[in-house]
Amino acid sequence: MTGRGGRSGVRSAPEVVLRVAGLTHSYGDRVVLDGVSFDLEAGTVVAIVGPSGAGKTTLFRCITQLITPGAGRVELSGRDLTALKGPELRRARRDVGLVFQQYNLVRRLSAVDNVLAGRLADLPTWRVLARRPGASERAAAVACLDRVGLAGHAQARADRLSGGEQQRVAIARALAQRTRVILADEPVSSLDPSAAAKVLAALRAVASDDGIAVLCSLHQVGMVAGFADRVLGLREGRIVLDMAGAEFDERRHGEVYGEWAHGAYPLP
Amino acid sequence: MAALPEALWGGAAQAGPGPEPAKAGPPRRRPRWRRWLYLAVVVAVYVVSWRLADVDLPRLARGLSTMFGWAAKAWPPSTRELPLILERAGETVAIAVIGTTLATVIAAAICVPAARNLTPSPWVRLPSRLLLNTLRGVDSFVFALLFVAAVGLGPFAGMLGVAFHSSGSIGKLFAETLEGLPAGPLEAAELTGASRLKTVSYALVPDAMPGLASVALYMFEFNIRSSIVLGVVGAGGIGQQLKNSIELLDFPRLLTIVLVILAMVTFVDQLSGRLRKHLA
Repeated sequence: MTGRGGRSGVRSAPEVVLRVAGLTHSYGDRVVLDGVSFDLEAGTVVAIVGPSGAGKTTLFRCITQLITPGAGRVELSGRDLTALKGPELRRARRDVGLVFQQYNLVRRLSAVDNVLAGRLADLPTWRVLARRPGASERAAAVACLDRVGLAGHAQARADRLSGGEQQRVAIARALAQRTRVILADEPVSSLDPSAAAKVLAALRAVASDDGIAVLCSLHQVGMVAGFADRVLGLREGRIVLDMAGAEFDERRHGEVYGEWAHGAYPLP
Repeated sequence: MAALPEALWGGAAQAGPGPEPAKAGPPRRRPRWRRWLYLAVVVAVYVVSWRLADVDLPRLARGLSTMFGWAAKAWPPSTRELPLILERAGETVAIAVIGTTLATVIAAAICVPAARNLTPSPWVRLPSRLLLNTLRGVDSFVFALLFVAAVGLGPFAGMLGVAFHSSGSIGKLFAETLEGLPAGPLEAAELTGASRLKTVSYALVPDAMPGLASVALYMFEFNIRSSIVLGVVGAGGIGQQLKNSIELLDFPRLLTIVLVILAMVTFVDQLSGRLRKHLA
């Protein structure tokens, strides 16, 4: 595993933002996550690959504590999220932004209002209820949209945008939230290749420019190499591969997916 | 070879070579006598109900001829008291407007604790549901009777009756509307670390709004009709005039009232129906 956060004194060592250690979870007697451990460093993009059912979504939901994991630790900037509850957990969660496969935008709100949803925790309650965030917040939200190339669509209603545009609005929302980590759960699996490329480019840019740690699950092998600094392979709830993104290829991909990737068995 | 995919695929593969689902046996024959029993029960229910409801067709025939006599006497409708009647009709609309609005406010407060997706805890949800069902279960007519006794005769009692009963109906429909919304946007907003009030109002209400408004309008149409009846228990509005005219056997005046009611109901239904279509 690259750059352990504990190497004190080495200034160039990248900062570990998120540390997942021994994360284990089961649904009934089916073990979905089996001792998953890895570190995410500031400004790096880590792709996570693995067949459907390997536990990727469960992993993401355990990291954000949407599911309480059966065992293991999730350390965000050194704090163990699994030990937090209620308001403390809510506050700690702000540092994690989630980007979902289904975008999860409020359909009837404009793009900029959806970005402002990332600011909910910091805005006074009356401003939220009146939906009047104030001019400076609005300008900051438009700036976030600009980062993903959508400043021109700020006033468009979310359900009028294309899938790729909606996903980039979701990234802008995470930016507005000023997260330290973005977890993207198959953000491009329902997008066409050109829209997918734009979404991944936006994720890459926020990692490089804002020092956000990005963990992104992907299916397409071709997309990993140009996008991710590192690749994790997840199979049956275990990390079975951990390597540099540039070295990831069809062969390693096949190893993670088993024979299905080569067409020996039809995908379900 | 065969063992490999199973090991890799975990649970998904188990469905394939796993044990066959239990075969459904041959269709079970229901004994013939059971069918005759059911039929006998249904027939018995109708016979008893017919007796209890005191159905008497000859009496209906006699009554109908009396009513036709009234109808003949009702023409032409009397316009002498039209201003008063219109004023009372306005009172009825006012009962429905204020009553439905108050009911919507009450319902908005109770629907969130009553919605399964927003309130997972049954300790909060079930009492909320019970409250809504109780309010809905007591008719606005009954509530109006109580309020006439409490605050006196007049439209105020009627308005309160409408508000209390329909807050239950609106609250239940509101809760069902909220339960039908996708969970994703709310979940995304919750991960920003904001409070429940903020996330629900910001991420859920905008998408819920058309559905909620449609429910409120629908109940307004319903409440116009129930406000008319409320006059009968002394809760004001055009219903009271209707009752007076019947008791005084003043049929031309009665006909005027009926025509005003028809016009009023038709107009409100059309208007509200159009608004609801616009929202959809």
